[in-house]
Amino acid sequence: MTHTDEDLKSALRRCEAPEGFTDRVLARVANEQAVESTSGRESGLNIFSRPVLPWATVAVASVALIAGGIHYRNVQRERTQGEAAKQQLMLALRIASSKLQLAKAKVNDINVNQTKNRQVKE
Amino acid sequence: MRKTLLWILLAATPATARAQDLKIPADVEKLSAKAKETVEVTMDGPMLKWASKFLSAEDPEEKKCAELVANLRGIYVRSFEFDKEGAYTSAEVDALRAQVRAPGWSRVVGVRSERDGDNVDVFFKLENDKMAGIIIIAAEPRELTFVNIVGPLEVDQLADLGGEFGIPKLNHESLSKAQKGEHK
Repeated sequence: MTHTDEDLKSALRRCEAPEGFTDRVLARVANEQAVESTSGRESGLNIFSRPVLPWATVAVASVALIAGGIHYRNVQRERTQGEAAKQQLMLALRIASSKLQLAKAKVNDINVNQTKNRQVKE
Repeated sequence: MRKTLLWILLAATPATARAQDLKIPADVEKLSAKAKETVEVTMDGPMLKWASKFLSAEDPEEKKCAELVANLRGIYVRSFEFDKEGAYTSAEVDALRAQVRAPGWSRVVGVRSERDGDNVDVFFKLENDKMAGIIIIAAEPRELTFVNIVGPLEVDQLADLGGEFGIPKLNHESLSKAQKGEHK
């Protein structure tokens, strides 16, 4: 099959586009752009939604760290208050004991003096 | 039935409160303003239990304290140390002593020393022939101390703590030795 110059000329000759061609093309382009932008948004969301595990791990670790920190601080505070209360208790017992000892010493003192006086009289 | 229970509770409460609430007179509380050093310890049952949780079972001294306070319902101490003598009056001490003239209390030791001005009173509270509390009022020239321990207590155990706390234990022998030393 051979193509003559005439065939080529008639094939490549300028002809008018069918009616509404431009509108249809523009409508199609607009449609495709809309589809592209929707799929683009989805893929954008996917960026955030895809690595769920690492984000969750970070969140859980952070919460655990904060909770642990608060618990540790509470335990420390309780221990400090408890130690202070213990010191107060020991101080109270120390004072009670020393005053009881003082009373005991005074009574002993009197007893010894009385015995001494009795011995001197004898 | 409920009414009866309520009446029993109402009747029992003041008695319990009376045993524990031997208040320090306001005049005596005011002494802290004049005092060089003031010690105030107010520990009721729950506080006492909580504080005793922190006493170590491995430390012999703390172990003894824990045993001593195990059944106590309260420890109240006021101790005032003054720069000079005469910072408090005998009326203020009498006000303290008057608190213990309630039934159930008996004075087991009352020492008045004109030589060094030390006056010590020890009161015991007995309930069903068992020790239910002790009050110590020690009025020394520059120091006034009020101790109220509520609950069953072994007095010897408390006195024994003296040795544990670095205060030499006082008995007839040590006292005699000390006095012999003085005479030398």
